Parts: sequence; structure tokens; C-alpha cells
Amino acid sequence: MENLKIAATERSPEVDFDFEHGALSLRGESYPEDASTVFGPIFSALESFLATVGDREIRIDFDLTYFNSSSAKALMNMFQRLDHAAAAGARIKITWFFAPDDDTMKEFGEDFSEDLEHVAFNLIAIETAA
Amino acid sequence: MADFNLFDAEEKTLEQAEELRHGMADAPAAIRDGLATLIDSYGRSVREQRRLVRVSDRLQAQLATVNHELGKRKAEAEQALDDLKSAQESLVQAEKLASLGALVGGVAHEINTPVGIALSCASHLADATQDIKKLFEADDIGVDDFKRYMATAMDTTSLILSNCERAAQLIRSFKQVAVDRTSSERRDFDLCAYIRETLASLGPHLRQAGHTVSIDCPGGITMTSYPGALSQVLSNFVMNSLVHGFEPGQIGEIRIEVDQVEPDQVRLTYADTGRGIPDQNRGRIFDPFFTTRRGIGGSGLGLHIVYNLVTGPLGGNVSVESPAKGGTAFVVTVPQVTASPTV
Repeated sequence: MENLKIAATERSPEVDFDFEHGALSLRGESYPEDASTVFGPIFSALESFLATVGDREIRIDFDLTYFNSSSAKALMNMFQRLDHAAAAGARIKITWFFAPDDDTMKEFGEDFSEDLEHVAFNLIAIETAA
Repeated sequence: MADFNLFDAEEKTLEQAEELRHGMADAPAAIRDGLATLIDSYGRSVREQRRLVRVSDRLQAQLATVNHELGKRKAEAEQALDDLKSAQESLVQAEKLASLGALVGGVAHEINTPVGIALSCASHLADATQDIKKLFEADDIGVDDFKRYMATAMDTTSLILSNCERAAQLIRSFKQVAVDRTSSERRDFDLCAYIRETLASLGPHLRQAGHTVSIDCPGGITMTSYPGALSQVLSNFVMNSLVHGFEPGQIGEIRIEVDQVEPDQVRLTYADTGRGIPDQNRGRIFDPFFTTRRGIGGSGLGLHIVYNLVTGPLGGNVSVESPAKGGTAFVVTVPQVTASPTV
């Protein structure tokens, strides 16, 4: 299926879903006026993709520096969906990046991982270029 | 994406619960009531979540706008600060140029007098020579004519010489003011020995009038600095004492003391027992061309040169004090090791 690539805007993250190689990533900030315009396309692409994955190995990177509440809810939904796919056999590895001095993002990562049973979840501190 | 719904899963759960309730129409009333209460409160909870997300989103958007505005203001403030700094630099530069302009103007003014005198003397000599030539060619020259001419020639040449000498001296002073900091030599030297050498070279000036000089300098201070500049500073202090400080006929004393207030700083105090500097002049003595002896040998450059050398190549500062017991004291504080010239 076709890859999904959306450039970052001031209020939405960069989306780079390389379905062919099973490498997906979300980077940047997310506080859109309307969560559905940002997460709608992400979810419909993800749904179609997860329906086809079987037991493939999939890597998903989250490198977010800031997001609002509806984005948090959307992310939670996304993790839930990924956990279902993992329960069904897909080998899913999520990496949650955060800046070493950003405790908030680290805590969000820890919170999200609590509800996940089947995906492998890594928390990694990295210095951002900016 | 009209079908995207953040609370999709919750709504589906509610629908399923509703179906469950229908399917349990035959269950005991207590169970049906209990289930209805659970469904109701779950629905309420989901609605509450939606509201919270909406409120929170709005607050976060406001926060982002405020942050954005703050960033913009910060950038503007930083830009303003940069502008201010460069404006300040241009002002300093303009000030330097203005002081150079004043210097050049002053030099022109100072040099104009001796050059003017030399010029009119030369012109007078040329006229006199023309006259005597005519008499000589007409074979009409008398001894008195020749004597008069000789007297004129002696007077005018002497004036031309002394005034040209004065002009040359002023030009030399000017070159010192505009001292080229990079060409003067920076090296290691023993401070006390160097002070003694400098004072010895000024000996003739001092001995003539019978002034005494004492030097109190702890041995072993090695400087990495500009000895030429330091020597110039000391010479100018001494000349200042001789020309301005001591009254004619007075037998004065000069004291030079060196100490180290901080390990890498050297403080040199130069004091004389002269007439001192009046309060109203103390703020101006380092200004170029400030002199109380204009027209009688003062150029007004001596202490300005001191100021430029101390704050420039020597990297220190100089101040003037009027000790209670009279006289004048200059305090020069310089680093023992000056910064390397930045070229």
C-alpha cells in the first residue's frame, strides 16, 4: 500500500509511514485546532495497514516534544490499536523518544506503556538537534 | 475525515452496553436498574472526558499562542539589544574619530604658530637678501648695510631654526599620541631595573634643578609588557613634575612606589611635592591639548599620552590624586602580563 508522508506544520507533527519497510514515525509537536484533520488520515492509513500485517515486524517511532489533550487521546487510541495488532501476532516495537530534560514527555511515555501488553515499548532519551 | 472520532471506542462500548441492557429485559429489576445506572454514569463520564479534552485543548492552544508571542517578543527584544549594542559601538567609534579630529585640529593649531613664525622670518630674510643683492650688484654696498643684513640673517635663521625645531617636536608628540600599538615591542623585563634605567636617563633634567628621586620597588617583579610604553609614561610624569609641578627654584622630591595589590597586578604610584593640580582641572588633565601653559611650552599632550599608553598597550588604568600633604600623585595599575596584541 502507498506510504503516508505529511510534512510537519507549526501545530502538527511530521508523519512518515513507510509501510513497505514497516517503519513508521511521528515527530514534532501536535496541538491542532481540529484533531480529526491531523489524526483522521493517520488512523485510516494505519487501520488499512494493520489489517494486512499478519506477523510482520513493525517499528514505530514517536519523537514528540509537545501535544495537547486530544492528541494525547488520539495517541492512546493509536497505542490501543497497535496493542490489538500485536495481540493478533504482529511483532510491533514502539520507541518513545524524549529530551533528557523533558520529564513531562518521559512520564507520558511511561503512562502510555502501562496499558500495553503485547507491543515492545522502549523509552529513549535523546538530545534533539534543536 | 468526518468518520474520525476520538471517542469511537467509548461510543462502541456504550452501544454494546445498550444492547446488553435490551438483552437483559427479563433480568431481575435490581440488576436492570444497576446496569442502567452503570451505563448512565459511564456515558456521563465519556461526555465529561470530551468536555475536559475540549477545554484542555483550548487552554493549550492559548498557551501555544502566548508562547509564540513570547518568543516573538523575546526575539524583538534581542534584536533591539543587538541594535543598541551596535549603535553604542558606532558611538564609541564616532567618539574616537571626534577625538582624533580634535587631536588633528589641535596639532594643526599648535603647529601653525611655529610654522607661521618660521615662514614670516624666512620671507623677511628673503626680502633683506634681495635688498642687499641689489646694493651689491649696484656696487653700492656699505659696511653698515652689510652689518644690518648680517644681524637680520642671524635673528631670522635663529628664529626659523627654533620654530622648526618646535614644529618637529610637536609632530613627534603627535606620533606618540597615535602610537602604533602593534609595532611597539612586548617582552619580559625586570620592572624595578627598568624604572631605574628610565629615571637614570632623565637624570640630567632632574639633577640640573637639584630634585631628588626615590624609588621603592620590591625586587623580582618580572613584567611581560611594553617597556617602551612604560618608560614613556614615567618620562611624561617626570616632565610634568618639572614643567608644571615644581615652582622655579624649588627643590622637589619625586617618589616612585611599586606594590602588588593582587598577584598579577602591579600598582605604580608616582608622587611629587609640587604645587599640585587644582580641583577644577583634575577631571581634564588626561584630555588632549588640555594645558595650563599654552604658548609657554605646554602642548597639553603629555598626560593624554600617558592615559593612552596605560589604557591601551599596557592594559591598565591611571588616576590622579591630590595627597593631603600636597603635591600630585598618579596611580597606575597595570597587569603584570599584558594581553597579546590582537592583530
